[in-house]
Amino acid sequence: MTRWLLRRVVQAALTFAVAIVLLFFLMRAAPGDPLSRLVGERNVSEQEIAVLRARFGLDQPLLSQFQAFVAGLLRGDLGVSIEQYPEKVTSLLAARIPPTLLLGGTVLLINFGVGSWLGVRQAVRRGSRFDRWLTRLALAGYATPSFWLGLVLVAFVSLRWRLLPAAQMTDPLLPLDAGFGTRAVDLLRHLILPALTLSLTSMALVMRHQRAALLTVFRLDYITAARARGLTERRVLWRHAWRNTLVPMITLLGLWLPILVTGSLFVEAIFNWPGLGSLAANAINARDYPVLMGTAMLVSGAVIFAGLLADIGYTVADPRVRPT
Amino acid sequence: MIAGRLLAPLLMLFGAAAAEARQRPPDHGTIVIVVGREPSTPVPTLLGQKSNNDVSDLLFLRLAHPGRGLITADEKSFEPELARSWTRRDSLTLVFDLDPRARWHDGRPVTARDVVWSFNRMRDPAIDPANALLLRYLSSVTAVNDSRVVLTFRKSYSEQFFDATYHVQPLPAHLVDTIPPERFATSAFVQSPVGNGPYRWVRREAGRSLELAGNQTFFLGSPKLDRVVILTAGDADAQMNLLLDGSADVYEALPPVSGPPRIAGNPALRFQTQPSFGVLFLLFNQRAYGDRSRPHPILSDRDVRLALAMALDRTPLLHSTFGAFARLANAPSAQAHWTSTLVPNGPAYDPAGARTLLERRGWIDRDGDGVREKDGVPLSLRLNVVASSSPRLIMAPQVQEQLRRIGVRIEIVRLEGPVWNGRRNKGEFDIDFSSSVLDPSPTGIVQSWSCAGRSGTNVAQYCNPSVDSLIETAISSTRDLERNWRTAYASLQRDVPAIWLATPSVLFAVHTRYRGVTLRPESLYSTMWRWSVDPTRRIARDGTSQLAQ
Repeated sequence: MTRWLLRRVVQAALTFAVAIVLLFFLMRAAPGDPLSRLVGERNVSEQEIAVLRARFGLDQPLLSQFQAFVAGLLRGDLGVSIEQYPEKVTSLLAARIPPTLLLGGTVLLINFGVGSWLGVRQAVRRGSRFDRWLTRLALAGYATPSFWLGLVLVAFVSLRWRLLPAAQMTDPLLPLDAGFGTRAVDLLRHLILPALTLSLTSMALVMRHQRAALLTVFRLDYITAARARGLTERRVLWRHAWRNTLVPMITLLGLWLPILVTGSLFVEAIFNWPGLGSLAANAINARDYPVLMGTAMLVSGAVIFAGLLADIGYTVADPRVRPT
Repeated sequence: MIAGRLLAPLLMLFGAAAAEARQRPPDHGTIVIVVGREPSTPVPTLLGQKSNNDVSDLLFLRLAHPGRGLITADEKSFEPELARSWTRRDSLTLVFDLDPRARWHDGRPVTARDVVWSFNRMRDPAIDPANALLLRYLSSVTAVNDSRVVLTFRKSYSEQFFDATYHVQPLPAHLVDTIPPERFATSAFVQSPVGNGPYRWVRREAGRSLELAGNQTFFLGSPKLDRVVILTAGDADAQMNLLLDGSADVYEALPPVSGPPRIAGNPALRFQTQPSFGVLFLLFNQRAYGDRSRPHPILSDRDVRLALAMALDRTPLLHSTFGAFARLANAPSAQAHWTSTLVPNGPAYDPAGARTLLERRGWIDRDGDGVREKDGVPLSLRLNVVASSSPRLIMAPQVQEQLRRIGVRIEIVRLEGPVWNGRRNKGEFDIDFSSSVLDPSPTGIVQSWSCAGRSGTNVAQYCNPSVDSLIETAISSTRDLERNWRTAYASLQRDVPAIWLATPSVLFAVHTRYRGVTLRPESLYSTMWRWSVDPTRRIARDGTSQLAQ
């Protein structure tokens, strides 16, 4: 088991290294000079542009730039943003990770909490009106583009009914002396709409997976045997059937975990949510290589790490796939 | 741990608690402005982008400011700012006496040394070529004593006083004179500037918000809006929604067609328009694509450029994009310029005439594919458009279609900002869909439309010495000013270096609780320190918040 785990970790690290190399060179192959914007938009002199080019190492050959990047990475230094100089990339990422985790975590929690539970209810009441309507609603939500749903929710909930704020993560004018409770409520009020937008458009996947997995398990002999032994339906469902649906659900969770860090670009834009998605989008627009590398590494790292976690999850949930 | 990390940015946001606090008077309050582009370097010499200019004008004053009519050639209409008074020794020499009450936000007095240092910095072509060109007639700036500055010009001309006062916003020499010019943009001063205007810097959260506080010791009068928060929201829907749900009080970039009806139904908001200094135009590259050593194989022919201009019916283009909120442009002169009424009409819409002109120049569609050719070269041009500009994206396909009708193939090249900028600066375009916010004085024309501007913003490398000479005559004249400007514009039009399309208005929405809201085209918020809140219509953020000192 330890050898398997070690091998799997080494594989993940290698994949990450390959991803970094590809990301670095592909980004620089894209057209666009990160400093050209300073000439047009900020009136920075050519003299200063030359100094900045040297400072960011952009006047060096690509291989030297890569060496400098790797050396920095080994020291835990991702460099300094070109667009938002002199902000460190790590500081920018650190500022954006909490909002991203908050939104992504909430969505994950709603999808796998509420979505799984609804999927179970659907499987139990298969063919009922409840099952049919929920299936229709879930698929309608899944087919709805998140940016459209976001705009509709804002139009009604924020602008017409005035129930929740339309955008931002916090009210920038919250009184300076506001207490923890006021701030938490403010945060929650701003979180509801973006989280709901992302959940409503993606929860169907979890519900359908959960429903299908449970229906498959319901047909197996050991469930019939459990019922024949006189176990309560509740015990059969949660103790025997549901536990055996965990493997496909862990696979799904593994695929979904990266959302925690990637965020959703459209939803972040509509709600002006200060997450990694909007940071990455701005960095792409500005060709801010250091920030772009930082966000891209974070995303690819999350994907690889989630895959690793899912593999470990299988071995915990299903002894049959446990390496010997 | 997680909770701590989640709350950290919140605590940072609100954590800079006021050391002292006081209750606000009844007409004082807060204003929240939502913008699409972050004012990341709102410091003189680094401006260029509108949002930077707007914030810079709240932080830094000029010696004097043009009066409401914006007659930049009328010295008498200027209003004092840092300079309490001025006198003319002769037609070449201006003497400014600084207001002894003027102070930097760190408490130091504004001195003649600050003014001299700033002028010298901005006149250096290596540092600020665009401003250096505008200040080319200024021969010296000297400090007589701490409060008196003498500006000497090489020649007498009508906009001399404007040049003396508008282009340079003095910087605090005691804080910036040790910063090498090549390190200025990235200096600590730019991260937290110290100005002398009605507002002082509080903090910026990169990519999110900027906060300014009223300078309660401002020598021209204490601002009534004590707190200005500028929110950055990249998405146009988010900007509008922040205004409509009351999170923001001001939005200055209402979409011209869909915006006004949404504001009209909201009693808390007022809609205002303001002439701008913006101009949209199709810029013809005079040199070959990406090779400035050769003339452009198609567009160096003035008759071809004229034919393209004649083939465009600009009125429907304008209405489909801006509704009623723009005027046709006929030259690099915007609707807020005092010379805008002097600009003759451009080439009339005449597609038949355009076809004849092209045929006369040898451009004929011999193979019947709908595109004209000459010596085997098709009349095909690349139109570079920046993907972030909605008006330009709306207009580009209409331009393409209208020119197709006279046998010209236009390939629309939609580019992201940095790529578009890069190609523009390197001359990698046939036609560039450009937009400029022009200088308030018509003399700014030299930046992009003169031979001298070729090392700066004249990216199309347009150069005609006889046009230069007529522009120079207009700038230099003190008599027959209007006639000379009319002649200069007409000569530029005859060359057709561009097709000028539109000069749009600023569409501005503001909460109705503010009183005394006036806007200035050259500096939207420069009078904001005089705005106030109707005491009967205060909302929570005007009254309950306490004011940072």
